[in-house]
Amino acid sequence: MILTRRAALVTAAVTPFAIGRARAADTLKIGVIAPLTGVVAEPGRIQLNSLRLAAAKINAAGGVMGKPVELLVEDDASSNPGAVLAFSRLAQNQDIVGFIGSIRSTVMNAMAPDMLKLGKPVMFGGTDPTLTHQGNPWLFRCRPNDSYSARVIADFCVNSLKLKKVALVHSTDAFGTGGKNALLPNLAKMGVEPVLVQGYANNQPDFTPVVQAVKQSGADVLTSYFTNEPDCAIFARQLRQLGVRTPWVGSPSVQSPVTRGLAKNALYGTYAVADFVEDSNPQALSFANDYRAAHKESPDSGWTYDGLMILTKAITDAKSTDPTKIRAAILAIKKYAGTEGEYNFDANGDGLHGYNIVVNNNDKIEYKQHIEFTD
Amino acid sequence: MTNFLQLLFNGLGIGAIYALVSLGFVLLIRAASVVNFGQGEFSMLGAYLLVIFFNIFGINYYLGMALSVVIMAGFGVIFAYTTYWPLRFRGGLPVIISTIGASIFLENMVLVLYGPSSVAIDGLFESDGFEIGGVFLATQYLAIIVIATILVVFQYLVFEKTLLGKKLQATSQDKEMASLLGIPVVFMILITFAYSSAMGGLAGMLVAPLLFVSVNMAGIIALKAFAANIIGGYGSIPGAILGGLALGVIETMGASYISVPYKDAFAFAMLLAFLMVRPQGMFGEKISEKA
Amino acid sequence: MQGLSINPWRGVPQTAIAAIIVVGVAMLAPAQGYYLNILMQASTYAIAVVGLVVVLGYCGQISIAQAAFFGIGAYGVALGTVDYGMNFFVAMLIAVVFAGVCGLILGLGSLRLGGHYLAMISISFQQILTLVLTNWIPFTHGPDGVRNIPRPRFFGISLEGGNAFLALCLVVMVLVALFAWRLKATKLGRAMQAVRDNDLAAATSGIDVFGTKVIAFGISAVLGAIGGGLFAGGFGYISPDQFSFAESIVLLTMALLGGVQSPFGALIGTMLLVILPETLRFLKQVYLAVYGAAVILIMVFLADGLWGFVDERLRKRARPIAGAVPRLPLLDQTGTDSDDKILVVDKLAKHFGGLKAVDEVSLAVRRGSVHALIGPNGSGKTTFINVVTGLYVATGGTISFAGRDITKLSPHERNRGGLARTFQNIRVFRGLTVLENVMIGAERQGNDVADSPDRVLARALAALEFVDMRGDAHRMIGELSYGHQRYVEIARALAGSPDVLLLDEPAAGLNMTEKVALGELLKRLKGHGLTILIVDHDMKLVEQVADHITVLNFGKRIADGTPGMVLSHPDVIAAYLGEPRNEAA
Repeated sequence: MILTRRAALVTAAVTPFAIGRARAADTLKIGVIAPLTGVVAEPGRIQLNSLRLAAAKINAAGGVMGKPVELLVEDDASSNPGAVLAFSRLAQNQDIVGFIGSIRSTVMNAMAPDMLKLGKPVMFGGTDPTLTHQGNPWLFRCRPNDSYSARVIADFCVNSLKLKKVALVHSTDAFGTGGKNALLPNLAKMGVEPVLVQGYANNQPDFTPVVQAVKQSGADVLTSYFTNEPDCAIFARQLRQLGVRTPWVGSPSVQSPVTRGLAKNALYGTYAVADFVEDSNPQALSFANDYRAAHKESPDSGWTYDGLMILTKAITDAKSTDPTKIRAAILAIKKYAGTEGEYNFDANGDGLHGYNIVVNNNDKIEYKQHIEFTD
Repeated sequence: MTNFLQLLFNGLGIGAIYALVSLGFVLLIRAASVVNFGQGEFSMLGAYLLVIFFNIFGINYYLGMALSVVIMAGFGVIFAYTTYWPLRFRGGLPVIISTIGASIFLENMVLVLYGPSSVAIDGLFESDGFEIGGVFLATQYLAIIVIATILVVFQYLVFEKTLLGKKLQATSQDKEMASLLGIPVVFMILITFAYSSAMGGLAGMLVAPLLFVSVNMAGIIALKAFAANIIGGYGSIPGAILGGLALGVIETMGASYISVPYKDAFAFAMLLAFLMVRPQGMFGEKISEKA
Repeated sequence: MQGLSINPWRGVPQTAIAAIIVVGVAMLAPAQGYYLNILMQASTYAIAVVGLVVVLGYCGQISIAQAAFFGIGAYGVALGTVDYGMNFFVAMLIAVVFAGVCGLILGLGSLRLGGHYLAMISISFQQILTLVLTNWIPFTHGPDGVRNIPRPRFFGISLEGGNAFLALCLVVMVLVALFAWRLKATKLGRAMQAVRDNDLAAATSGIDVFGTKVIAFGISAVLGAIGGGLFAGGFGYISPDQFSFAESIVLLTMALLGGVQSPFGALIGTMLLVILPETLRFLKQVYLAVYGAAVILIMVFLADGLWGFVDERLRKRARPIAGAVPRLPLLDQTGTDSDDKILVVDKLAKHFGGLKAVDEVSLAVRRGSVHALIGPNGSGKTTFINVVTGLYVATGGTISFAGRDITKLSPHERNRGGLARTFQNIRVFRGLTVLENVMIGAERQGNDVADSPDRVLARALAALEFVDMRGDAHRMIGELSYGHQRYVEIARALAGSPDVLLLDEPAAGLNMTEKVALGELLKRLKGHGLTILIVDHDMKLVEQVADHITVLNFGKRIADGTPGMVLSHPDVIAAYLGEPRNEAA
């Protein structure tokens, strides 16, 4: 009896180790930190599905340097401490060659010190511009950062719509404040001083004070950085109820399916910047079709798909899993056609430098134009 | 001036929401001396029930509301048996903590079952609202103000004028004595939980068209409703509605004329001021001394 | 006295060993990565949770703002080091002091308010702090948070490496746990627990209830900030959302799960709740629902948390303390009835709304006498005692005690002056042992032994010996019969060597045998010359011991004098037999 139990224990202790070693030789391991639980679990699920789609595509084409890609996923529980733990757990695995990080900037900020210490490439989606400007060479962004969304919003208002009395409504959280801080200098460059800059705290049941402020400012165009979709929808409805009809150019939340579902006709005619738009390029359309075929719903973002594609392309280009060589190969990527647009990595690690503008035409999101910057 | 009136109206509307949620609190405080940190989840559950009946099964809106209220009343009894009953002799603190646990449990169960996305639901009326003299009056806000007022009067009458109300009050003040007087204490407490849960659910259904239905739709509202309750006078029914309205107007005005980002701070600063200076609230009785 | 002294080094050797072990663990942990991070998180959280043990476990005051204090500590260190170039420890000190002050202010809220109000105050504080951290961008960096927070050097030792810093966190955690564990058995710790168990009895046993609560809040806030400061150093990046209301709830649950009565419970609870989410990941979304349900189950089935379960078993092994102690000083006196009036009450009134519960009652208690206050139910006797001991504020009239006007003094000040009492419905400290209950009486400020913990212990044992209960000293008071609890209550009062003892219906709830024994006890006290004001309507008991009787009816004094005189007074007979009162009276 005692013998059997000991034997069982020994087997139990040895087996995963042995399997781990055996498989280590077979696959190319990519670590993924994604919110599987908690408040942002929903987008996390879509990001993970997209990644699996990319991995399946790569593996169907023969993998990377002859090895299939394997995703090792850890849950960040939608929180900063959770993300730090998730990353450090993955970091222990010596076989992982690179990581897919988070779409949330504070989560990236929390993990960044450990990422710097580990020294392996991380593809991420958080749009806080400073993330690629803090001397951490291992962070590579697969979405255009907020300075570009801000530039595009400013450019579209002033040059395309020819409107200069700009009002800005922004959340006071990291995303909204980052957007505000990026938009104001871009407007200033065009000689525009906003007639109203109004912050609000997330999760408000009522936006009357904000709407009244917009109404009284005399703005002829409204710009916005909303974080939470219900906030955006409540604001939109009250805005229309209280009779504000000015054009509205917002951050992506204005055109997200959830916001449109909540606000309905209050959002008709609004413009938004969008990093991922299905009909903006053939790659996006093909990815969206594949995703729909697999999951019966439309994807709202393609950055994790692009991230894995670029990471594996860089490994193939470098013919090595050495982090420094992968880094050099990523930075060498130019004119790569991804789902989110054309990637031209700059020295900071930013891959994309432009945004799409879309318009809500009776609840149908239409691609309007792409604004790209080269500097 | 229209700006001020518009802020005033919407402030009263949001204040009526606080008052409505607060009414559920008051009863539990008065009859069972329970502070229920799961009150917001009652509202959330009520709203989800309406979504299930109306959005999914396509049952008539008003019938759906009625059904939801009945189910919520039953839920209140279950809540009482699991969260309050085993702890009833152990003082206020364990019950507070167990209601916090219940609130975490309910939020996350709904999250598992329904996902984190918000859902929109129709209002009581076809029209969103109408304009008088440049002020937009939202029908749902008007409805909430009217219903909250009716319920306050109803609750006040039940509590102060009926035998049932007297029994409930007696139960709250001294359970042993009430029991000696032949009042079925257990039944009284279960009624209270059922009513409180039904009220909470109704409040959730009424605010759902405005705030949409989501797991955390009522969290901050319940917290502010509780603040309103203390400002108005802890456990006082007229205090609940006046405290709620005052809070709604003050935070809307404060946001507009002082600072929007600090809007939530006005409610809590007002609460702190009341607690420090006049803890019995606007309508409360002096906190009783007992040796 | 030998063998009775309290070991001042209690727990120190164990702590030293624990410290060596944790430093070893820290040094052996991988230099970076998962285990390092998880231990860092657990140890810094644990420090904050020990703070909750003090305020909630010991003092019974709910605080749902511990994450706010944690955040103040973290932000103090982060902003101090990053923006103002301060030394890590200097920044931490400033943050800790600031948090302490905030804690004291929060504690001020407990002046008139308890329970749910306090919960609301702390929630408000928590919410406002989160708003300030998010919105005061020029100072706090706003929602982006603060990054690149440096780690310090400590007397030339670099703590920049993960292991060294973890060692610091763990050592601080061990020290904080030792502090909290020892605090529990100090005068302050006992005072906190007394406040938690019964604030009225605490006040009339000389404890400054309000001050004790404020100090508990202060200590709790300080520990929260220490944990937060170390957290900032440990992780190098902080943002406002890490110190939100939800985190306060997490910290609260950690304390409750482990057991809020002991720092060991805090450590267990924190470790479990840091590690559980990691190990229960397979439950996915359901995890948080399970967590919520667990909170309810813990409250229902494990009222004292996991450690409470262990502790109860440990306590069963406790044995009475052996060794002779000097007897109560009272026993060396002999009774002398004098004309000196020690307690003089003049036209005392207490109105509740329109009801005159006490209506201009005067009486004088002579030193060394037993003075009885009698009257039918509802005649205002207990209200009178409550006004005299300060639990009620007098509507009118004056009370002077040993020549001093005490009308405006708080209950604990009156007790410290030498006025002790017992209650009609026994008020003891249910979370404490029999001995600890009596020690609280012995260590009242102003008592001759109050300054020496050893002598407090001896005095408490002596008081228990006097009521013949020393054999039960180590038992929890709730295990005793009602009559024995009454004796402990009297022993608590006697241990404080009062000048006047007020007994509010001491015979209430006792059976016949116990009543006889109580009568004997009162006679012994009288024999040693203790001044007693006794309220009762058991005429037999009163007749046995009283030198002087005052009779109340409907809040008014209807008779006053020697027993023989008073008991034959027609109004008194009428009041007691329930006959209609004479119109003229």
